[in-house]
Amino acid sequence: MTLLTPEIEALVGEHVTYTAPEPFGPAEFRYFALAVGDPNPIYSEDAAARAAGYDGVTAPPTFVMETNQYMSGETDEHGYGGHSWGIEIPGTRMIRRGHEYEFGVPVKVGDVMTVEWAVVEVSERTSRSGVAMLEVTSQASYTNQDGELLGVNREQLVFQELT
Amino acid sequence: MSGGERLAPLEREMSSERLVMYAGATWDWHKLHYDQAYADAANLPAPIVDGQHYGGLFTEQALSATGPAGRVKTMAMRFRSMVFVGDTVRVTGEVTGYDDGVLTISHELRVDDRLCATAVTTVAVAAATPRLDGANHDRPR
Repeated sequence: MTLLTPEIEALVGEHVTYTAPEPFGPAEFRYFALAVGDPNPIYSEDAAARAAGYDGVTAPPTFVMETNQYMSGETDEHGYGGHSWGIEIPGTRMIRRGHEYEFGVPVKVGDVMTVEWAVVEVSERTSRSGVAMLEVTSQASYTNQDGELLGVNREQLVFQELT
Repeated sequence: MSGGERLAPLEREMSSERLVMYAGATWDWHKLHYDQAYADAANLPAPIVDGQHYGGLFTEQALSATGPAGRVKTMAMRFRSMVFVGDTVRVTGEVTGYDDGVLTISHELRVDDRLCATAVTTVAVAAATPRLDGANHDRPR
């Protein structure tokens, strides 16, 4: 079974850019920290954040890579409203393999985020047990309204042949 | 802080309300993370935790090594097996290196004895000190 079709190969170099419709507010940072369960006060109290060298409250660093606030809010049939390349390969299941994050300047209240997603690599390999696997590596770059880099997220999705 | 030091383990119950909070906080409403009927249809025993959620736990543990002045620089996460709603995860962390003010920490996330994810974070022990030569003149005051 060949998963790496010309259509899939043509995805390399595809990119799309989103800009959030409104700035981040402090409630979003506190909400994310509450959801994770992280009690660090730099996410909820300006004084604590300033004492730690921030300009004011910030978010846990992975918030930048996690929020879909920059999307329209429309969801697909799975309830998902985040960015996707719309890759559907019958006879496979998608597995999220991992992420590599780099963190830039701390996110702050009032930041309006722009996100650029790109497909950087597609490849196919066969597991030891003979199962075909297509690996799609995407990269998202997150910047604020001043063009400062908030972070980079490189993620690997694997489409594994169902046997 | 030197190589080999173990950080305090972090345990957290991935309760249904936590998963719903996380879905709301991230604007990610994928049914896989809270809908039992959807999980049934996907041949899963229960809704699963969004793997990226672990990034928040690795951050919390990494900053426990530095205090709030620390800055997480990089994080590489690899997912190994699924975590289900109601599971309690246990995150262990070990300092594996220290170079030029930056710690390298290896983390493992388990449910009971089952390895679910691994991560390597690098954390600067303190934010860069603003220089006094005018290079930061554009910083807000």
